[in-house]
Amino acid sequence: MSHFPPEYLASNSSQKPNYARVFLTFARNSLVRDMTFRSNFIIETITSLSWMFMNLGFYLLIFSYTDVIGVATGWTQYEFFVFFATVAIVNSLVQTFFMPNAQEFSELIRTGNLDFALLKPIDTQFLISLQKVNWSGLGNTGFAILLLLFSLWHLSRHEADFVLHPLQILLYPLYVFCGIIILYSLMIALSATSVWLGRNQSLYNFWFYITNFSRYPMEIYSGPVGDPRRWIGESLRTFFSYVIPVLLAVNVPARILAKPMAPDNLSLALYAVIGTILSFILSRMIFYRALRGYRSASS
Amino acid sequence: METIRIEGLRKTYKIYQKQEGLRASFRGLFRRRYRVVEAVRGIDLSVDQGEFVAFLGPNGAGKTTTLKLLSGVISPSSGSARVLGHVPWRRENAYRRRFALVMGQKNQLWWDLPAQESFRLHQQIYRIEPAAFVARRDELVDLLEVGKLLGQPVRELSLGERMKMELIAALLHSPEVLFLDEPTIGLDVVAQHNIQNFLSYYQKLKKITILLTSHYMKDVIALCKRVVIVTDGVIVHDGSLKEIIDRFSTHKVITLQFADHGLPHDINRFGEVIEEQAPRLKIRVAKQTVTDSLAAILQLHPVEDVSVEDPPLEQVIAEIFTSVKQESDSTGKRAISKI
Repeated sequence: MSHFPPEYLASNSSQKPNYARVFLTFARNSLVRDMTFRSNFIIETITSLSWMFMNLGFYLLIFSYTDVIGVATGWTQYEFFVFFATVAIVNSLVQTFFMPNAQEFSELIRTGNLDFALLKPIDTQFLISLQKVNWSGLGNTGFAILLLLFSLWHLSRHEADFVLHPLQILLYPLYVFCGIIILYSLMIALSATSVWLGRNQSLYNFWFYITNFSRYPMEIYSGPVGDPRRWIGESLRTFFSYVIPVLLAVNVPARILAKPMAPDNLSLALYAVIGTILSFILSRMIFYRALRGYRSASS
Repeated sequence: METIRIEGLRKTYKIYQKQEGLRASFRGLFRRRYRVVEAVRGIDLSVDQGEFVAFLGPNGAGKTTTLKLLSGVISPSSGSARVLGHVPWRRENAYRRRFALVMGQKNQLWWDLPAQESFRLHQQIYRIEPAAFVARRDELVDLLEVGKLLGQPVRELSLGERMKMELIAALLHSPEVLFLDEPTIGLDVVAQHNIQNFLSYYQKLKKITILLTSHYMKDVIALCKRVVIVTDGVIVHDGSLKEIIDRFSTHKVITLQFADHGLPHDINRFGEVIEEQAPRLKIRVAKQTVTDSLAAILQLHPVEDVSVEDPPLEQVIAEIFTSVKQESDSTGKRAISKI
């Protein structure tokens, strides 16, 4: 093909962007920006870490009253700390990679600056969802991983029947990833609604209310057998497991480490994969439908 | 070769009409009143490769909407458009690699970072070969003389400097079609002039197709041979700058400098006096009577110097805008005329 002038080849190359490298550039640019505003970065890291410590103190306090959450659920203190560490890992990663972007998305729609994102020869959802990285969120991730390791060490030392199988260690990050995707899909779909709702109103804040349910072991929704209020918990559990699967985001990876032998784990684990894929596909459909309704603010 | 083809392009918006006052706002919760705004009302246009076309029109005429439609940012209500063979609002990557949009009122560079970091990001997104990237960036930076500013956060740049950076970012991937929406808005005369020079040079060098909207007639005179005038969402004129003057200006401006220091009093019978600064006088004379009036004045008064000019383009364009508006207001229809 040497008869083509080089200029022709350069301007018409249909090469796709290398998404990994684009993401690295986003991450790098965000880091440069975060380091420019140094004190802001430090304050954000400290405030989110203190949120972790306060929660940890709160749960320690609860376990000073009881040894286990619920009768025969198996959630004693260190198993619960595995769960809590997983909550923190999943949430801090969502906060680091997706939250600033989902927040900005409705702002982009309102100001009309979404225009530029639509011009770029790259997947628009990728561009919108990942262009900023909030590096200060990783402080929590680091602390949560330490807490996880400590709790696992404690369990293996003090509980005779606690053994970690390599498969569990392999599956854990996979399901953490699934959890992140589930929470992200819900988040981006909710913030996309501002295309229809107009101005800076969106259902984005609803994400925080819904995901609150994902922060506790699903056993607490079951309630004691025979209690007339049991249906409330059961309907919450079913709804947030199968319709909006936020309950699976933390419960599945945490159970894989802390309660691998529980009988319903296999079906939950299977459904978590399906739920992740379905959530992501649905979020893409909502996202692209929203883009079609975009009107672009006049300049 | 035809680069842009637009046929019967329309875009209407439904806008919620908010009534004044709290009580009306409550009523608005249940029963909403909408107004349909027709931003673009049937535009036909064909632009060849290498043309530099200006879109002129008052605010709200539909210029920006047309550029947004052609960039695929929004979809039309009806009609069709093809740019480089692509339907813009399908947002195909093959199309998006080949054009760029620059808006004077919006910025796409990372606000807190130096422009060079945004350029690198563009390199990754458009996947520009490193050697080509460096060559193009350096060429553009040289032409716009912003080499020293590359490392400065964008928020610390002046408006003119920022606009230059926006242009570089938009041109790094060598677009074949460039849409410019008021690129010189708010700039001082020097910065405007720099950007005009750059655009003119770059367009001739690369033979790219450019559509420009601007309110500065100087931009248009410096850059574009072809002018499309849009008012109320329709094209009212499509032709050269010279045609506008010939066709729409009914008057010429005669400047007279008298030999004695007083000004004659009977001069207003030849035309409307528009400026009086003894011993100079400017009058507006109907085109067909220019020669007769001039001969008569020269015979009657001692004139030292004389010049006959077309009225300033701004004025002609303003007259077109108002006359079209009046026409459409009185008949309820749109006046469309084409040369």
